[in-house]
Amino acid sequence: MDRVSGAVGSAVSWALVGMTLAGAAAAILRYLARPLGLAPALNALGDVQWMLFAAVVILGASWALRDDGHVRVDVAAQRFSPRTRAWIDLTGHLLLLLPFCGFLLWALWPAVAQSVALREAALDPGGLARWPIKVLVLGAVGLLAMQGLAQAARAVLVLRSPRLGDAVDPTTEADVPEADLPVAP
Amino acid sequence: MALGAHLADWLGPIMVLAVLAGLFSGYPVAFVLGGVSLAFAVLGVWTGYFDWPYLLALADRTFGVLQNPILLAIPFFILMGTLLQRSRLAEDLLTTIGALFGGMRGGLAIAVVGVGALLAAATGVVGASVVAMGTISLPVMLRAGYSPRLSAGVITAAGSLGQLIPPSVVLIVLGDQLGVSVGALFGAALVPGVLLAGAFALTVVVIAWRRPEAAPALPEAERPADLGALARQVAKVLVPPLLLIVVVLGSIFLGIATPTEAGALGAVGAALLAAANRRLRVETVREAARDTARLTTMVVVLLLGSTAFALVFRGLYGDVWIEEILTGLPGGVIGFLIVANLAVFVLGFVIDFFEIAFIVVPLLAPAAAAVGVDLVWFGVMLGLNLQTSFLTPPFGFALFYLRGVAPPEVKTTDIYRGVIPFVIVQVLALAAFVAFSGVLG
Repeated sequence: MDRVSGAVGSAVSWALVGMTLAGAAAAILRYLARPLGLAPALNALGDVQWMLFAAVVILGASWALRDDGHVRVDVAAQRFSPRTRAWIDLTGHLLLLLPFCGFLLWALWPAVAQSVALREAALDPGGLARWPIKVLVLGAVGLLAMQGLAQAARAVLVLRSPRLGDAVDPTTEADVPEADLPVAP
Repeated sequence: MALGAHLADWLGPIMVLAVLAGLFSGYPVAFVLGGVSLAFAVLGVWTGYFDWPYLLALADRTFGVLQNPILLAIPFFILMGTLLQRSRLAEDLLTTIGALFGGMRGGLAIAVVGVGALLAAATGVVGASVVAMGTISLPVMLRAGYSPRLSAGVITAAGSLGQLIPPSVVLIVLGDQLGVSVGALFGAALVPGVLLAGAFALTVVVIAWRRPEAAPALPEAERPADLGALARQVAKVLVPPLLLIVVVLGSIFLGIATPTEAGALGAVGAALLAAANRRLRVETVREAARDTARLTTMVVVLLLGSTAFALVFRGLYGDVWIEEILTGLPGGVIGFLIVANLAVFVLGFVIDFFEIAFIVVPLLAPAAAAVGVDLVWFGVMLGLNLQTSFLTPPFGFALFYLRGVAPPEVKTTDIYRGVIPFVIVQVLALAAFVAFSGVLG
């Protein structure tokens, strides 16, 4: 699971470079488009930009979760012991993150299903198909939930290890079977 | 039942308390917002405030955030900044400006203010710019014999300038949240931002004059002997990035390009600059893109969490509650501005800018509009206020970030005491801004 999120992270970085190039091309094209009749290409570039943006953000979410890249307010937390922090993370993953992912999946599902059923595409000439990106968003939320489970498992390992949690190697200890998870407190 | 109905009226305020408690646990903010919102959504449905279908709007909102052309500008400007940093062009800039002013007492410190104003603008995230400025300039200043106190003060102050000076990411986010044009915010923030940088430079001059030993001039030996060589260095190192920023901002102000377009071109421009200096390696681009992806993800995921919060909070009529409090304050506009400023200032101690922009600003904005405050000026004022908050000991964020990269001989008390003159300048600037800018309408 960690490796999947890591690989996604690399892909995301390069998607960002592509997005920037598309953005710059679109900016220049906007002035050339009308005289040259390139409007459809311009619309396509615009679509490419936001689709890559959506992909970067939504896929980056699970990558950031793995690397602890999401903003935390650590004014109080930095004084807690590693065990306390692991408890907070575990509770948070199980009571906040996972239900929220489930909620998002529930809310997104009808919209995405409809989009796929209609083979939704942008209305502008040259606009691209829209349904794949919606499926991707849905999938990425699923990925986030999986990474949440992996992180919860990691917190359990920290709590079980006799010493401080820093000894847990993130690459070898991932993908703990879900059966090992305790029932939510 | 009567008790139940009574309790239900308090769901909005209780939700705010629950979020605050969650924030202080140290769990990632975005998921605190999302998870707490879900819990209160269940309560809201149970007490009959809204139905489950009301929450399906979350799907539209989520796709709306992901398709937002304004937010698209964020990664572009961040990439422009990280490219300039990772290719070490920012470092060159500092040493060149340092050489230019080096003969003067306090010259290096003034150079730091200048570089902070130029470069932090492109990154616009306090942590990133203070860390970058600290790693680049702190060793240089200490080696030149500057007092740790002045060095620390000027670096944190200059690093947090990026909040205000366009094209700051902070302003893009504020524009989105306040529903005003990013170009207008950039335009409104430019003059106060540049004036503030000027005030910082003046502070340095005064300190160098009163306490010469704190800010020595570079020794003769380290000054460039050949003025022609210095001029060539300036032309090569200083002019191109300056030109890039002027072109990017100019095209926005003149309406030639949208902020998003200008950002994309600016990022490509920064890459071309790096290439022209033979500094553009695949590794550089990858690192810069990684930093950018990380920051962008952090910001937008936070926004997704706060979108869920806003939806549920509104469903519980929490927004009405807040607006009633804020518009009912004694003293009208002045009362509102004082309370809003104090609230943001204190919150700035504990939560970073983006949380404030996504959670607090949407609550303040309707009330600001209701009492007749111009939202563009309101946005600039918030930026200025937060900058002060981030600099103020003992909690200011910028101080912690500098502590993280400062060598042990710079004591924490040095940082705290060094920044005080700059905090005073900041507070005066904020007061002057409220008095003269027209934020009062």
